[in-house]
Amino acid sequence: MTFTQECVILVARERLWDFLMDVPTVGRCVPGVENIEAVDGSAYRGGLKVQVGPIRLSLEGTITVEEQDRNAWHARMRADANDRRMGGGIRARMSLTLVPAEDGTRLRIETDLAVLGKIGEFGQPIIKKKADTLLREFVRNLGSALAP
Amino acid sequence: MTRVIRLRVNGAAHDVEVPTYRTLLDCLRNDLGLTGSKEGCGVGVCGACTVLLDGKMISSCIALAVFADGREVTTVEGLAEDERLHPVQQAFMDAGGFQCGICTPGQVVAAKALLDTTPHPSDAEIREWMLGNLCRCTGYYKIVESIQAAAQQNRS
Amino acid sequence: MNAFEYRAPRALDEALAILQEFGDDARAIAGGTALVTMMRQRLVRPGCLVSLRDIPGLDGIEATNGVVRLGALVTHREAELSPWLGERLPVLADTFRRVGTVRIRHMATVGGALAHADPNQDPPVTLLALDARVDIRRAGGRRELALGEFFRDYYETALEPGELVACITVPLLPASSGASYVKFLPRTADDYATVAVAATVTLEPDGERCREGRIALGSVAPTPLRARAAEALLAGERLDERLLRAAGEAARGAVDPLTDHRGSAAYKREMTLVMVGRALTQAWDAARRAVRIPR
Repeated sequence: MTFTQECVILVARERLWDFLMDVPTVGRCVPGVENIEAVDGSAYRGGLKVQVGPIRLSLEGTITVEEQDRNAWHARMRADANDRRMGGGIRARMSLTLVPAEDGTRLRIETDLAVLGKIGEFGQPIIKKKADTLLREFVRNLGSALAP
Repeated sequence: MTRVIRLRVNGAAHDVEVPTYRTLLDCLRNDLGLTGSKEGCGVGVCGACTVLLDGKMISSCIALAVFADGREVTTVEGLAEDERLHPVQQAFMDAGGFQCGICTPGQVVAAKALLDTTPHPSDAEIREWMLGNLCRCTGYYKIVESIQAAAQQNRS
Repeated sequence: MNAFEYRAPRALDEALAILQEFGDDARAIAGGTALVTMMRQRLVRPGCLVSLRDIPGLDGIEATNGVVRLGALVTHREAELSPWLGERLPVLADTFRRVGTVRIRHMATVGGALAHADPNQDPPVTLLALDARVDIRRAGGRRELALGEFFRDYYETALEPGELVACITVPLLPASSGASYVKFLPRTADDYATVAVAATVTLEPDGERCREGRIALGSVAPTPLRARAAEALLAGERLDERLLRAAGEAARGAVDPLTDHRGSAAYKREMTLVMVGRALTQAWDAARRAVRIPR
């Protein structure tokens, strides 16, 4: 499933870029994220807790910055995480683009999310809605974190 | 955590120690050796696991064994009396109400429960009652005919 | 399933005390049709199950002062077959009859259905149209909520850890009223609805104009919901194609369905319009009959 989030953050493009490439810091803008730490230059390990009603997911995995092109203001990231207890996981591919906008920068995030195993069987549409909500809150938190 | 439950199955009392997570179906099949009831889907939809709990038909694959503590369970093994088949079983044989047989235990238990509550059901009543007992072989025609034949028996 | 503690209290206070002790690590279980299925799929893993099955006093259907009370442990089958409900609130008995199969209805309870809060379920839609209220108990206290405030999101209710649904109260419809439940079910007969609509219509004494109408929608949003904008169009009006279309369009604008194997979001939106029209027509016809044959 794919999502697109677009928003205008009221800071200059350079500052937004540097913030986004600091994965442990920007990770904290995602609701439910825990303990992001660097494994090496472009890979990080972390956890994410998500809840849908009585169902609690405890995802653990890695985030990798696959490509960052500061000249083109474009980055690609990959997240792979599993819920060990439930036997399922997620694979997310994210593409970030920064474009100047009035008063700040327009950030566009395109996400391709695959939900695997038991979690996927449960209810793809509900997961999609949840992921959508998560990304929207991320973008909101991003705006607050960078507010002048 | 385990629990000792006392249940009557097909008229006989059993004391069984079961883990709390044991389903009634697994208890019947594995603890009591009554393998007539089958697990088809595991989510209560297909009806292969149909048993009667205090006379009411339920999906035993999504019932906990502990629910049967102090209660009466009827499985397909309990339909016949001594050497005589239950009229529903005889009717399924005579009318050709089964092919591979995997859904049949659930079908006959459900049919018996129907005739216990509604001795002379219409075709519509049969279909509504039996709609949760899935069959991949027969197309359901012979199942309905078998149940009608068993109901006719009730008249005579 | 995971290993869990199992308690089978014989009194409500005892059950509430255990639920309070275990907090959100405990779940109440009655029929278990939803909960055991989820536990078998390892989607929920409670440390303790508190069975309500042996608690007396929660399984009655009774009526006082124009209000029906359904105890939380009333099974769907009992509600479906209740002669009392069949006579005074047939739309509710009919709705319970539409759930799954007889096997499910023998076990699944009214309280459990509400606590599960799957927006695809049937009874909450009709209960919402009937302005039902939920009686909630916890150790040392109780509170009451309108059903509309009870459902929060997919599988999420206003119940706090330690709380139980004790009963539901449903007001009877006023004289000159009719109600209907339309379950649009393009797949198998035991499935959840693709779109569900419950409608009530109360007519003026002349039997022509609508005094009040209510429309509740299921399977088209994270919770069942009332189509308030559509309802507002009904007051004072006569039933005609224009009104049905307007109400259907207003209802369509209020929904937020998911695309799944029961239909695309776009399809469910269109079917909302169609099914609202059908439900209103049926409810109106029933109301006209009630005017002609008053109780």
